[in-house]
Amino acid sequence: MDGTKALATPANQFSTPRRNTLFRQRMIWAYIFISLPVAGLLVFSLGPILFTGWVSLHEWNMLTPPSEMPWVGLSNYVYLLTQDTIFQRALVNTFIFVIGGVGSNVILGLAFALLLNSRLRGQTLWRVLYFLPVITAPLALGVIFGFLFNRNYGLVNSLLIALGGTRQPFLASPDQALYVIIIMAVYQYLGYYIVIFVAGLQGIPQDYYDAASVDGANVWQRFRHITLPLLRPVMLFVIVTNTIGALQVFDLVFATTNGGPANSTMTVVLHMYNTAFKFQRMGRASAMAFILLAIILAITIVQLRLLRDRTQE
Amino acid sequence: MARNEYRIGALSLNVARYVIVIFGAIVMVVPFLWMINSSLMTTSEITRQPPVWFPATPQFSNFTGLLEVVPMHRLYLNSIIVAAATVLGVLFTSSIAGFAFAKYQFPGRDLLFYMILATMMVPFFITLIPVFYIVRQLGWINTFQGLVVPGIFSAYGIFLMRQFISTLPDELLDAARIDGASEPLIYARIIVPLVKPALATLGTFTFIGVWNAFLWPLLVISDRDLMTVPLGLNSLRLYAAEARNLHLLMAGTALSVVPTLVIFIFLQRYFIRGIALTGLKG
Repeated sequence: MDGTKALATPANQFSTPRRNTLFRQRMIWAYIFISLPVAGLLVFSLGPILFTGWVSLHEWNMLTPPSEMPWVGLSNYVYLLTQDTIFQRALVNTFIFVIGGVGSNVILGLAFALLLNSRLRGQTLWRVLYFLPVITAPLALGVIFGFLFNRNYGLVNSLLIALGGTRQPFLASPDQALYVIIIMAVYQYLGYYIVIFVAGLQGIPQDYYDAASVDGANVWQRFRHITLPLLRPVMLFVIVTNTIGALQVFDLVFATTNGGPANSTMTVVLHMYNTAFKFQRMGRASAMAFILLAIILAITIVQLRLLRDRTQE
Repeated sequence: MARNEYRIGALSLNVARYVIVIFGAIVMVVPFLWMINSSLMTTSEITRQPPVWFPATPQFSNFTGLLEVVPMHRLYLNSIIVAAATVLGVLFTSSIAGFAFAKYQFPGRDLLFYMILATMMVPFFITLIPVFYIVRQLGWINTFQGLVVPGIFSAYGIFLMRQFISTLPDELLDAARIDGASEPLIYARIIVPLVKPALATLGTFTFIGVWNAFLWPLLVISDRDLMTVPLGLNSLRLYAAEARNLHLLMAGTALSVVPTLVIFIFLQRYFIRGIALTGLKG
């Protein structure tokens, strides 16, 4: 396409041999332009993906050269899925984290986007305030929330007691810590999803709402039959990206509970990090990475399917 | 009468809206305000029950005490060097490859581009172990290049720049060629200026991502003089937990967070426009 278009322009009205050298020159330049980025991606992205897959079939401590790794077949995968109780716990925790976090972000994000999209004063101010946590380092937020949810002197406990509740252990409790981390994650990313939802809402033509109002549709009906269906692509984007991100949670947990108490907040990536860089079991950690990748792919495909099918209602 | 009732209804609805939005904003801001207040408290004020809202006397000495434990100015310099180098690297590799994929015909182009698309959504943890091994074999542990080089090749960046550059008319390039411009000159003088908005968006998000990055620096850097801000905060966190120097930890947290927030407040329009434009995440 581009080539035929280029032929019609005066720049290329040369005799054939001249044109051929010109094209060859351009082709050479194109190869020069892509050489560094493509080589970089091969070395730091595509190559490592394949290498991780290869390592997951071996035992490796990263000290022996990769050529001398003993082959163990699928035993790393078998071990993880049948014997590694911490990994299984981490999988369950990560799923709870994803469901709680993504669900809250979608509901709260859409609710606040609807509020902010109506004619409120101070749009910029609200957006800035809601966006502050998004650009804050997860590690710093982890430190702050570690204080706020501290069992002995945390502000949240003070508030609970002032409201007549009882002191809660929060991050020190195996039953509560994971939910505190979900709250942190929602706090951190809500502003981002509000901005995305607002952009999506602004893409819906006002005419549709006006026409529906003329036909007597109430607020709920307009939301249900105009906003929601037309917001589906945005919804899809939010759910898929948020799920993929949440499945990889690391910093927030590392900075608060580091997986504890009693592995109640252990996540897959944190367990993988420990397995690889604390215990030097690269094969097992690589197998974990591939299991998580498979889960991410499967969930993404299911989500794309479900949300796409509904559009054809 | 009916009209008045309608007005009162609309008014109370509006008030309810403001109440919810303001409540949400308070929840968003309180952790930061608390952090700033606590950074000026003594450790005993931070942990006092019932909580103290403001320090009896602001302990500005927390910050001088902090600098004795953690060289924050050094950490900032390191973070700026690493973030700037990574952003420049990403902008260069993404724009030049995006340009080649958008505007040139060459054998293998589509195949290579599909390869790049395939690596676009790959999560970082998949490549973590091999990239760490490569960096270690290169002798880049405890170096800035170990932090920067693996981060400057962005499949997403190449994709984004290709999409932007594809929308530019070919006639621009041909006109420049008639005037005798070489291909690199066309890239530098025509393409780069025209895609500045896309570069600004890509650069901003790359910057936030690198600025807040923790896991990769944690693996590569152990030398205190080369630590980035999140790494320094982490070592401060471990130190403060042992020594009960919570005032220093809060001072360090505030000093690591507040400058970023100030910069964001000044540039917020570009951030938010960028997200709405590309749905890009740092």
